[in-house]
Amino acid sequence: MGRIIEEIYVWRLPVRVYHWVNAICTVMLLLTGMYIAAPVINPPLGEAVWYNGMSWWRYLHFATAFVFIANFLFRMYWALFGDDRYARFGGFQPWSPSWWGKPFREQVESYLFLRRDEPNYVGHNPVAALAHFIFIFCGSTFMILSGLAMYGENNPGGFSESMFGWMIPLFGGSYALHFAHHLLAWIFPIYLIMHLYAVFRHDVVDRTSVTSSIITGYKHKVEEEPN
Amino acid sequence: MHNNQTFADIFRASGISRRDFLKFCSLTSVYLGLSPSMVPKIVQAMETKPRTPVIWLHGLECTCCSESFIRSSHPTIEDIIFNMISLDYDDVLSAAAGHQLEDVRRKIMQDYKGKYILAVEGNASTKDDGVYCMVGGDSFLNTLKETAADAAAIIAWGACASYGCVQNADPNPTGAAPVSEIIKDKPIVNVPGCPPISEVMTGVVAHFHTFGTLPELDRMGRPKAFYNTRIHDKCYRRAFYDAGMFVRSFDDEATRKGWCLYKMGCKGPTTYNSCSKIQWNGGVSFPIGSGHPCIGCSEPNFWDKGPFYERLAEVSFLGTDSNADRIGVIAVGAAAAGAAAHAAVTAVKKAKAGKDSEDKA
Repeated sequence: MGRIIEEIYVWRLPVRVYHWVNAICTVMLLLTGMYIAAPVINPPLGEAVWYNGMSWWRYLHFATAFVFIANFLFRMYWALFGDDRYARFGGFQPWSPSWWGKPFREQVESYLFLRRDEPNYVGHNPVAALAHFIFIFCGSTFMILSGLAMYGENNPGGFSESMFGWMIPLFGGSYALHFAHHLLAWIFPIYLIMHLYAVFRHDVVDRTSVTSSIITGYKHKVEEEPN
Repeated sequence: MHNNQTFADIFRASGISRRDFLKFCSLTSVYLGLSPSMVPKIVQAMETKPRTPVIWLHGLECTCCSESFIRSSHPTIEDIIFNMISLDYDDVLSAAAGHQLEDVRRKIMQDYKGKYILAVEGNASTKDDGVYCMVGGDSFLNTLKETAADAAAIIAWGACASYGCVQNADPNPTGAAPVSEIIKDKPIVNVPGCPPISEVMTGVVAHFHTFGTLPELDRMGRPKAFYNTRIHDKCYRRAFYDAGMFVRSFDDEATRKGWCLYKMGCKGPTTYNSCSKIQWNGGVSFPIGSGHPCIGCSEPNFWDKGPFYERLAEVSFLGTDSNADRIGVIAVGAAAAGAAAHAAVTAVKKAKAGKDSEDKA
């Protein structure tokens, strides 16, 4: 194991807070959402007025969703206006062909074992940035828009329905939108597996303490092992 | 009967004196909360405004919309066809047939150019020039386009005319298309349902007759008055849903107790209609009231979103037994397997690299 030669402060506090709020919300939303789709707890005996089995799960889902949305909006603010070189959108330019050039190719080759050395990045590497854009940015945006459209369904003419109700005809009806919301919820567990695997692997291979960096904020540069 | 019969003509023909007719107009102004100075206007409208002429076409359909329509209780069907509209052409209900009837249609289209209502039941086949639906010696596609050209507005009755229904369910062999995909330049009211509730149908007609305009429509072109809320939100079993008390099979105790049918595939939470408010057959019952889950017949493409007795639709292009959860589980499994394989390769490579460097040393 090499000696630590440099400590770099990568993830500032707002980013770390966002990360953990987002992680907790996503897991909560997945669990409550799956329960709402398939309520498994057996009905209790007695009168309906005594219980709120289903409404409680839905309440949890909606409350968590609003925390999730606020957190997402905060992260968007931080990405656009935050004074934070590792958390800004700045470097991520998928519309420009040069972004897909050498650094991206090298990272992909490294993941595919086509090259020996591991390119190292202090912030996100280009493949990670792309994955976050697809799964976290696009995925969350879709889940938020479709979720708010469905949330507004029971109050026609209300804020949610007026602002986001256009999602329903766009997807060809309420049922189709529910289906899309349910199907695309699955991208989050997929992302979770890939994310955890990639983080742990980088920790083992590059030894930059990327895992603990999301708690402490610091990544480490270590001395190259003698070959 | 004259073609341009007004209300005053009808009253006169029924033996009602002018004195009584003016009394009726005054009373109407009182009911509508209008000032006495408006009475002459009402008299004038009653004397000059003809009943709304309606041409009712039947395309690819099962006539369940007509069956529903004739069972309306508020307003009754008699009230509608004798007092509000002049149902000049309906190839199912008319006594005349053949060329005589087709001539009536053309005459109405000329006499009331741009003023008549076109009611369409069913949709048109668009494949192979529409040969899969021939009415009166011509394809229904042509008849529909020809009749729609001079219509003031179009009412699309039922799921067929609004969205396509079973005719354009996958794989849609005849290329059946709803009215809105064929006619683009006319105001269209979608009145979905298979069939729509009779009071909803007559309500739309009564609105047009009373106010001379189409009712306020929502994003899907449906009258807001009837399609604004979901069945779920007005369902009398909603309390059982919120309590988490669900029917789990059709022969259990919960079924007898009338608990929520959500787990039996009820599409009430995603279906916009008035079934849980107006109900059917003059308020006798509605599907959920009779113990059957809603199948969502007033929603687009409801046939392709089956099975009816399950919450989650099959994803047909991946074969039966594939739904969103199955796809999700397989994808998550694949991601996990991929990560494990990648980890294994990493470990092997690393071990090999370590061995290489040891050999060098």
